[in-house]
Amino acid sequence: MARIGVFLCWCGENIARTVDVARVAELSAQIPGVRCALDYKYMCSDPGQSLLREKIVSERLDRVVVASCSPHMHLKTFRKAAERAGINPYLVEMANIREHCSWVHPDREQATLKAAELVRMSVEKVRHNEPLRPIKVPVTRRALVIGAGVAGIQAALDIADGGYEVVLVEREPSIGGKMAGLSETFPTLDCSQCILTPRMVEVGQHPRIKLYTFSEVEAVDGFIGNFTITIRNKARYVDIAKCTGCGECWNVCPLKKNPSEFDYGMGFRRAIYVPFPQAVPARPVIDNKVCAKLVRNGCGLCEKKCPTGAISFKDEDRLIEEKVGAIVVATGYKLYSIGKEQPSDKLHGYGEYGYGKYKDVIDSLQFERLLSASGPTSGEVRRPSDGAVPKNIVFVACVGSRDNAKGLSYCSKICCMYTAKHAMLYKHKVHDGQAHVFYMDIRSGGKGYDEFVRRAIEQDGARYYRSRVSKITQENGKLMVRGADTLSGLPVTVEADLVVLAAAMRPADGVQELARKLNVGYDEFGFLMESHPKLRPVETNTGGVFICGACHSPKDIPESVAQASAAASKVQLTFASEELTREPEIAGVNERMCAACFRCMGACPYHAIERAEIHARNGDLIKRTARVNPGLCMGCGTCVAVCPSKSMDIAGFTEQEIYSMVEALA
Amino acid sequence: MSEVFEPRIVAFVCNWCTYLGADLAGTTRLEYPANVRIVRLPCSGRIDFNLLIKAFEIGADAVLVSGCHPGDCHYNTGNYHARRRWMLFRPLLEVLGFDMRRLHFAWISAAESRKFQQTVKQVVEETRQLGPYQYPAPPTDSYGAGREPHKNHFDAAAAQQRAREMLEAKEVDVVIGYGSSGPVFIRRPEDVDQITCEETGLNLAAYLGRKEVRAMGRAAILTKPMDAGALVVLERESQIESGAVKTIPIGEPGKGDFSDLDALLALPPAERMAWWAGEFARCTRCYACRQVCPMCYCERCIADKNRPVVIDTSPTPVGNFAWHVTRAFHLAGRCVGCGACNHACPVGIDLRLLNMAVHRAVAEQFDFNVGADPKAESPIGCWAPADHEEFIR
Repeated sequence: MARIGVFLCWCGENIARTVDVARVAELSAQIPGVRCALDYKYMCSDPGQSLLREKIVSERLDRVVVASCSPHMHLKTFRKAAERAGINPYLVEMANIREHCSWVHPDREQATLKAAELVRMSVEKVRHNEPLRPIKVPVTRRALVIGAGVAGIQAALDIADGGYEVVLVEREPSIGGKMAGLSETFPTLDCSQCILTPRMVEVGQHPRIKLYTFSEVEAVDGFIGNFTITIRNKARYVDIAKCTGCGECWNVCPLKKNPSEFDYGMGFRRAIYVPFPQAVPARPVIDNKVCAKLVRNGCGLCEKKCPTGAISFKDEDRLIEEKVGAIVVATGYKLYSIGKEQPSDKLHGYGEYGYGKYKDVIDSLQFERLLSASGPTSGEVRRPSDGAVPKNIVFVACVGSRDNAKGLSYCSKICCMYTAKHAMLYKHKVHDGQAHVFYMDIRSGGKGYDEFVRRAIEQDGARYYRSRVSKITQENGKLMVRGADTLSGLPVTVEADLVVLAAAMRPADGVQELARKLNVGYDEFGFLMESHPKLRPVETNTGGVFICGACHSPKDIPESVAQASAAASKVQLTFASEELTREPEIAGVNERMCAACFRCMGACPYHAIERAEIHARNGDLIKRTARVNPGLCMGCGTCVAVCPSKSMDIAGFTEQEIYSMVEALA
Repeated sequence: MSEVFEPRIVAFVCNWCTYLGADLAGTTRLEYPANVRIVRLPCSGRIDFNLLIKAFEIGADAVLVSGCHPGDCHYNTGNYHARRRWMLFRPLLEVLGFDMRRLHFAWISAAESRKFQQTVKQVVEETRQLGPYQYPAPPTDSYGAGREPHKNHFDAAAAQQRAREMLEAKEVDVVIGYGSSGPVFIRRPEDVDQITCEETGLNLAAYLGRKEVRAMGRAAILTKPMDAGALVVLERESQIESGAVKTIPIGEPGKGDFSDLDALLALPPAERMAWWAGEFARCTRCYACRQVCPMCYCERCIADKNRPVVIDTSPTPVGNFAWHVTRAFHLAGRCVGCGACNHACPVGIDLRLLNMAVHRAVAEQFDFNVGADPKAESPIGCWAPADHEEFIR
């Protein structure tokens, strides 16, 4: 006979106000097998837990039911408490008489009777519970980092410097991400490339970093500690092992006028190109949409010129498998598309700003290239239409962001700062020019940030208008920017030579598909979801998958780097021991009863069920059976539902346990 | 003033969405009637139809099944599998005349505390209007006549000839045919005249899984027009190897239709339920229907299990109802319509009607032909994003 203890919590007044706890205790004590049923004001408090432990010892209890709040709140607490008194933690059950009873049923009589029934259900379940031991699974101490912008680079270097191998996957032909294209960075105005490129070189040369550029994650299989990743290495047409990066090939390429992705269309590149001079790897790639050889079997000059025979037009995508134990997602951002065309009908563009219509209305990343010494104008501010130096320049903040009407309600966070930086750098380069900034609010929280904005206004004379821009039109070669200054109450019109729109940050393309592969949640805007906004900011709800940088929310460089290091330390924590402990509440097969129909295999979301054979000692096949891989099973129980003979069962939620609960209601 | 009927509602909910939604309803103090008892399961994918039947057995007046919204499943796809099963389970309950207003499905997320509250309120209110659930009492005058047992005659000479050829050519080691009583296992060409010209409705594929039959070696079986499909299902379910069993077709294909089923479905649900109660009352739980079914090859049937007792093992009214629901639903996407169960039933219950209800749902909803392609994925054990869910709140 089981010796079950029932412990009823008052939760102060929360339960006791509507549930007659003493009466529930009386009723519970009458259930066969219940040795003691007592109530206490706060079961989860130290004295409450001591009471539990004392009673376990004095009444020689072997199973425990705590009737209090939701098991999501305190099941772990009470399991630990019972464990300290020598009971297997899985022989503890809870009855949720707070969230599901006292808080929702004001009638004292009804609530009390319901609470008694909930206790009885849990008593009947715990009677059949079996002791379980946590499962140990080996860990592959190797990490995958997806995305090699500043966050991915930081995470990869931290993990690799910590002594573990890293597989770094980057979609573009070079690592570096958005930061590689920036001019100077706020609030210190140090050159972006000067900070980043040494880190990029470090990645390229690190003995423990395996770099896959021009590659994407095709498939993800497995679970924390044991992921199998399929990587699609896209056809580059250049063997980067043979290539020395000498440049003979791109110097002979006749197709010169292809808009450069790295310059956001502000400059040009050839059909075979290195995205930017400091690229890592500094190896070219052939654009198969424009290359004359690949499109119409013409040209082929580069192949003839290449001294090492590194170019092959027969190159194809390759699928590569890598085994890792943890994953860091650092896929970054893209800018909100400003024009009328939008990727989804939830979003709306700003047709009235003339982006895409007027050459001299550009976005903030394009302006970064105009400011950059490595950019198409070698750092001189010259406007795209005619190359003239703009004397009046307008910056518009919050383009897309904080605008429910356009579909993005969030603040893009970094635009206030980089807009101030843009105004400042412009003034440094065009001394007789005037910068005008249209803003909604100035959000400059951060170390040295507000001082930085003040400097842009006070020292560099940027004119700030608290105003939304209603329309941008072109009149007599000037861009007329119209708005209303809400501080002075007067309409503002600025005749501008160049307009820079601070477009909102949005998650990079394809991140939702990736999130589904990784089983990571994302919000309505497509930003990946953290496990807890305060306490688990870089974890996701999938074990072993961490996030950092702008794939999570708009972020500046310091924040992205800090998060990347946090994610890297979480990865190293995962790798701290050779084995991981997992919850034992997973499926198992009664192999003697299994009829080997394998319907469970089709139903398993994790491909955790495999076909197995049982052989006699002499090797004869006795029977076939399904078998669960305890490393892969997550314990959903879909297999149990489709198993006709219920040869499959879930530990901790067995058929016997569930039916006992239902029958307790009879 | 008459007393208000307080229905008992059992809710089977998943741990990650609906249970948390109910928690949030508590945290935000959203009041709802105290009639509901929540059973927490890992995932809606775990919620088995037998649990629902059991809940009604123990006195529930309505059952609520709830899990995460499509796309939100903590286990990726458990809720899709659940939805697929309910799509097939509901047509079965319908043909049984079960009052579908007592069975509720809802997607309720962890954030939808208000939806949880409203759903419980609605279910309680609707059930209050319906009154208590009661399995109809079997009729007291007569349990009904049942259908006539039937026997078919066919040309045995051709089958005997083919069997002789196969055995002589050593294509097979044994030919399973119809003998004067039950099956005969012919292993020598000179014994083929033991194959008689009368078949009793058996599907001989039912014998293939038996150990002693397997030990006889490569087999050929006589197959009536619908029987051979069973071999396809057995291959799909890894019970036999592809092409391992030869067939000797007999008889002319009849034309199957759903007219009997439609006639039954034309009755009001309560009358259907009452009619079935009479039919099931005759059932002695001899399990002949199970023994003759080529698809019932489990090592131990769920009906024989007693830890826990999923289906009442004695021929009680509710136990018989649970058994026949289980038998028919376990055949979803698997029944080939050979009718062996019907022929075997000594008390003449028209079991085919139940099989047909599920069979039609499979064919119509998933365009799935059970006996066609052994490589085709069974409609249970897979799912599609487009699976309909108008029955889910």
